[in-house]
Amino acid sequence: MAWNFDKPLVTMVDAATNEADKALWEKENLGGITEDNNRMPMPVVMLVILTVLTAFAVTFPLWGQRPTAALYAGYVKSMNLPEVMAIKDDDEAMKKIVQLNKGTGTMDGRSMEDMLERHPLSMNDLRIIKPQIEALMASGVDLGEYTVVGNQVVLANFQGNLKADGTIERKQPWWDKGYTIDIFYLTYFFTMVILLIKRLPPSSWQPRHNNH
Amino acid sequence: MFKYLMAKNEDIPPGASAVFFGFSAIIWFVIGTGLGSFNAAKLAFPDFVTGDMYFAFGHMRQVHVMAVIFGWISMAFAMAMMYITPALGNNKLWSEKLGIWNCMLWNIGLLVALTTLWAGITSGREYSDFPWPVDLYLATCVFIPLGVNVWMTILNRRTQGIYTTNWFFAAATFMVIIVFLVGNSPEFFHLTGLTEAYLTWWFAHNVLGLWITPVAAAIAYYTIPKITGNPLYSHRIGHLHFWSVVVFYSTPAAHHLMSAPLPEWLKSFASVEGVLILVPAIAFVSNIMLTMKGKWHMFVENVEVRFTITGCLMAIPLNMQGGFQQTRAINWYIHGTGWIVAHAHLALLGFSTFLEAAAVYLGLQTLMNRKLYSLKLANLHFWLLLIGFTTYWVSMTIAGLIQGAGKIYEVPYIDVVIAEHPYMIARWLGGTLVFFGNTLWLYNMWMTARKGTVIPQGRMPHELQYER
Repeated sequence: MAWNFDKPLVTMVDAATNEADKALWEKENLGGITEDNNRMPMPVVMLVILTVLTAFAVTFPLWGQRPTAALYAGYVKSMNLPEVMAIKDDDEAMKKIVQLNKGTGTMDGRSMEDMLERHPLSMNDLRIIKPQIEALMASGVDLGEYTVVGNQVVLANFQGNLKADGTIERKQPWWDKGYTIDIFYLTYFFTMVILLIKRLPPSSWQPRHNNH
Repeated sequence: MFKYLMAKNEDIPPGASAVFFGFSAIIWFVIGTGLGSFNAAKLAFPDFVTGDMYFAFGHMRQVHVMAVIFGWISMAFAMAMMYITPALGNNKLWSEKLGIWNCMLWNIGLLVALTTLWAGITSGREYSDFPWPVDLYLATCVFIPLGVNVWMTILNRRTQGIYTTNWFFAAATFMVIIVFLVGNSPEFFHLTGLTEAYLTWWFAHNVLGLWITPVAAAIAYYTIPKITGNPLYSHRIGHLHFWSVVVFYSTPAAHHLMSAPLPEWLKSFASVEGVLILVPAIAFVSNIMLTMKGKWHMFVENVEVRFTITGCLMAIPLNMQGGFQQTRAINWYIHGTGWIVAHAHLALLGFSTFLEAAAVYLGLQTLMNRKLYSLKLANLHFWLLLIGFTTYWVSMTIAGLIQGAGKIYEVPYIDVVIAEHPYMIARWLGGTLVFFGNTLWLYNMWMTARKGTVIPQGRMPHELQYER
């Protein structure tokens, strides 16, 4: 069981242990099944690396999924415009509001157009959330920290970094401690698996099964 | 079976418990897929059997799911463990008698459990639907005795090392007990709210990840080298596979609740781990495919190899779906749709069922010393299973995408129901093919027991010519 760090990428055990392991490997019959000592094929290693990189890349919140109060702030303002108020038909009025807000708003530096497309509203929906959003605007809070859930506008349950005033940011962060834990977790995992594998006889050696 | 219940352990022929588990598994598979076909018919034809609450979809869906998971899949696993574990340790099963009792108590328990579910007595939590007395019964009379028999057989092995398959068997039988007892704690302790939701999905995720997936893969590690005669390609890849299953499959339960008010960091953590489920999949598929080197003709010629390799190949789309459908970007679209139903069937009816079927085919022939009664029926079984499953999977995936679009763009619900109607009919057709195939399988294995050609001592079933 002695450790040997002379060539850590080849083997991490001493020669005597390696020889004993090789002898056992060739001698032992596991119900008629034998095993080879092939190294991890390079494409498999590359795929595993690609998977790890992809795992982080695709799980970032590239765009928020939940409609925030900020998303509809433009719509709410547009409701008070005379040209919108003059339209009697709700569907037409909504079309006008959407048209007026096309390409105008941004949230955290990104266009809100995609988000608005994914979260369409009717005039009735807007009438319900309008007073709530106006009250938030009057109080001067960050509308991006409030989520529209059905007929209510509520403080988002995201818990991001601490702000200068000591409160917690309520926006979905692009990075949070979940990713940091993942990095530690993965580091432990790969370290342990590499140690485990490198304590096997070097992959340059292949067992002879049943003496051939 | 009953004559062995009171017999001395040494008087029970080796492999008896595996044979009973094998036939029990097939019978539960027929029952489970029959129920599935019936339920699917109710979705395809809404006027089919109405007016009786016991035949309502809400009563019967869980019975189908639990019959398949704890009847077919888990009993096929038990069957595989009862004969593969001792074979790999060059010894006998620690206790055939315990195996026989285990099989009988399992069948009785499951019958009672499914009857209570059918009667409407349920915890109401998906995948952990059984009421708590049934949960405790299953833990003490099903999984703990199974685990004890597997561990004791491994501890008493006559080899110095432990082959990859037995790592998985030992770990999975231990983990499933933990999963069962901890995952059902909302039922034992009346936990509610987010804790209940999280533990419900912790159970559901880990029953798949720490029981069904590793044991199914472990079976392939046995069947392919055993039948082809090739050495397992890489012991090292086996290490990567085993440890990545334990580490990456046990952690992402929160990715089932991406829209719930769980802490966001927990979802981020779970989501990354969810994608990393691809690591064990890459290791498993590559190791088995490379072991097939020089023996690919057996994929065509040999039924057990064909089942196993088909199951392995299904691990690719299964894990591609599983890895990515839980990310925030995709989950908002497919969550709560038929896509998930399709994915669950890819895992249970595709990937794992094909691997288990190979183990049951191989095990029953080997243990009964009887060559398969009919190759034609076995081939028909394979194709009915494959075509039926594929029809089901494709139709439900499409239906899921339609439902996702309906959900996001707020299409009236009844319009979505109309749009997916053809796919519900296809789902029923596919499921019925699977059910039909399984009835043929039961007949084929029964006839194998009665009239199969005797296999001489020391020979493998595939070394003999088929006679029919």
